Amino acid sequence: MIDYLMKETEDGKIVVRLNGDLDIDSTEIVEEELLPAMEKYKKANIDFENVPFVDSSGMGLLLNIVQSLKEKGINVTISNVREDVQVVFDLLQIPEILGDETFI
Amino acid sequence: MQSIISKGKNLQEAIDVGLKLLEASKNEVNIEVIQQESKSFFKMKSKEAIVKITKLEQTTISEQNHEESTDPFKLIDELLTNSQNVMDDPVSNSVMEEESAPRRITKKADDLLGKAWVENGRLVCRCSPTHYPLVSIPDGVNVYKNNQLITEKSFVMTETDLFEVKMEMEEKETVWRVVMDAHKLNVDLHIEPGYKTTRFLLDIAPAQHIELLVDEKKEVSNTLSYQDIMGRLEELRIKHGFHQNEIIRAIEAVEPGVYTIATGIEAAPGKDGWIEFQINMDAQIGPREIENGRVDYRETKTIPNVNSGSVIAIVHPPVPGQPGRTVTNEPLPAKQTIPISVKSGKGIAIIDDKIIALESGRPHVEQRRNIVKVSIMSKLTHPGNVDLSSGNIHFMGDVEVLGEVCERMKIDAEGNILVHQTVNMANLTASGAVITYGSIIGSEVSAGKNNMLVTELGQLLGPINQDLVRVIQLIKQLTLSPGFKASDFSRGGLQPLINILLEKKFKQFPSLVREYVDKVKKGEQYLSDKIWSETANSLSKLFLSLSSEAISVDSITELSEKMQELHELSKMPVEPNSYITVPNVLSSRLYCSGDVNVFDQGSVNTKIYSGGKLTINGSLRGGEVFGRFGAEINEAGAESRTPTIVAVPEDQKISINKVMEGTAIKIGNAQYKFNETRSRVHAYLNKHGQIAFE
Repeated sequence: MIDYLMKETEDGKIVVRLNGDLDIDSTEIVEEELLPAMEKYKKANIDFENVPFVDSSGMGLLLNIVQSLKEKGINVTISNVREDVQVVFDLLQIPEILGDETFI
Repeated sequence: MQSIISKGKNLQEAIDVGLKLLEASKNEVNIEVIQQESKSFFKMKSKEAIVKITKLEQTTISEQNHEESTDPFKLIDELLTNSQNVMDDPVSNSVMEEESAPRRITKKADDLLGKAWVENGRLVCRCSPTHYPLVSIPDGVNVYKNNQLITEKSFVMTETDLFEVKMEMEEKETVWRVVMDAHKLNVDLHIEPGYKTTRFLLDIAPAQHIELLVDEKKEVSNTLSYQDIMGRLEELRIKHGFHQNEIIRAIEAVEPGVYTIATGIEAAPGKDGWIEFQINMDAQIGPREIENGRVDYRETKTIPNVNSGSVIAIVHPPVPGQPGRTVTNEPLPAKQTIPISVKSGKGIAIIDDKIIALESGRPHVEQRRNIVKVSIMSKLTHPGNVDLSSGNIHFMGDVEVLGEVCERMKIDAEGNILVHQTVNMANLTASGAVITYGSIIGSEVSAGKNNMLVTELGQLLGPINQDLVRVIQLIKQLTLSPGFKASDFSRGGLQPLINILLEKKFKQFPSLVREYVDKVKKGEQYLSDKIWSETANSLSKLFLSLSSEAISVDSITELSEKMQELHELSKMPVEPNSYITVPNVLSSRLYCSGDVNVFDQGSVNTKIYSGGKLTINGSLRGGEVFGRFGAEINEAGAESRTPTIVAVPEDQKISINKVMEGTAIKIGNAQYKFNETRSRVHAYLNKHGQIAFE
């Protein structure tokens, strides 16, 4: 299961700190809670520091979040991806799909 | 009378030397002392004893002999070195007054003055006050002057210095090695026997300038022993197939050489399974030329026929090969043999190893490598014209039309189509061959479309499968990544992952799959084998639809293997291929997976695609023709300058007997247009990718 912490910075940016595995079980939380919450801001950052594992559904979710936020003109970035998870991202060319500038 | 002048350190020595030279005893001679020896501290001033010895009572003959046997050089030497003294001495006159004998010696000695020579392998010389001999040193010879190596190519020789000639001696040990080939079937012994070369100086006649000549003697010493070889063979674990006589020859070898000292037994190849036909399957294709060079258009094809119940063929199992044995005594397996796989079509039963016809008709055999498909083609003979009254013909076998095929009529045959008269604005489609005895006008004719389709589909499957293999690899790699959870594979299958992959990494993949699926759908009626459409279904379910069915790695691996097989199969040429044989064709389209042969007047304004060789015996006027395996045309082009294009792939040739101005030829991607009429054109693509003519 996954949970998250949201924190708004002074310049109106929302920082979402994910905690747990981003996998098939996270679907509901992400789609029903997280995504609508993030849509209220102009800028967003997703912190992956506490995400040790991902699965293919989880990556599908991530693509879904970033792409639907971008469609609404919201600037999304992803930070602190762990090395193990980055390997998976690279294998599937996630940075290429989302644009290299998304990863900071 | 013979007399000499002799010198020595003292009187006694001088006399002894003289007597020795004259070969006389003391009482046979008269001795006259010319100079007593005197010693001085400096060698320069010391004087030797000189005596004149005259031999008494001698015959002329013996005199002569004596002259010859006397060492004249020594004498002259003495004369010379002492000449000064002799001059000073009042008695010296006696020397001058001497008889002819010493004079002759002097003369002979003069010849040698200032010369060097080689005698019995020794280098010697005589110097004269006016000339010193010059000696050249060839390569490989070292001359030491007073133990100092002379580095120059030639040197001046003197008597007072010590010269020593040394020649390089060469000695080489026997070199040998044992080489076993990669298959461990042959063991070669390479040997270069050792040798010792001794060099010595050749005798050279006296001359003012000599070049030392060297001769050499080579002694071979092959030190290789039988034990050496056996020891090495044991090290290499070679135990089998020795050739003792070759080993002996190698030991006795005097020249470098290679000896095969052991050989293994090569595996004897087996025989793949094969099919033996009990009936004559050779259908005569196309019109035959008869003896006087004319062509009999009536005898274009003899079609084999069988009655129900007769045995068409016997299937022979493969014969396994004989395993071989390496020189290290390991077994060498023979190549795997492949059995024939027979697919029975319509009207065929397979009982044990026999293929039996259940119906009468034409046996049809299609072979791709080891897969043989046999079926019986029944035959429909249509006695009249194919027109509105007869209707279109669709038949699962051969169709023979004795009349003509009229406007807008259609014939579809799983076998061959044979039309005795003209085909006018009609549509003929055959899986086998199309033969007409009349002209084809304004029609569409296709033969062997199924073969073409199989080739095309197979080619498409190549890149599709390459991608699929990469997908499978990637999944395996992902599962091994520590940051990846495969937990959802068991629940949702691979679909979420595949969606991500198709997003970027395999972006081209869905369009390839779609192309394949569409092609299969369009050509379904020509594809007798269901495997093509099964593959299309699996592919579209996996990658095109959004079905929620769980997909496992195993299922896509299985699909990939199936596609690989189909891809390989499509690369095999099909036997026998289709063909189209027509006398004349006008404003039509011919499409054939095999050869196209227009054997009479030719082709006018027609598009021809031939998957085999294109032959037009008459003329080609207008239109576009392509021959996958080359094009041979008698006359190409039109005076009306209707565009005429002849094309072949880059590895094929175009031969045209007479080509008209304005005709274009295309080989691969290179194009050439004739600006004037030419005869006997043989065009091909050269190394630089340009069209060249033979």
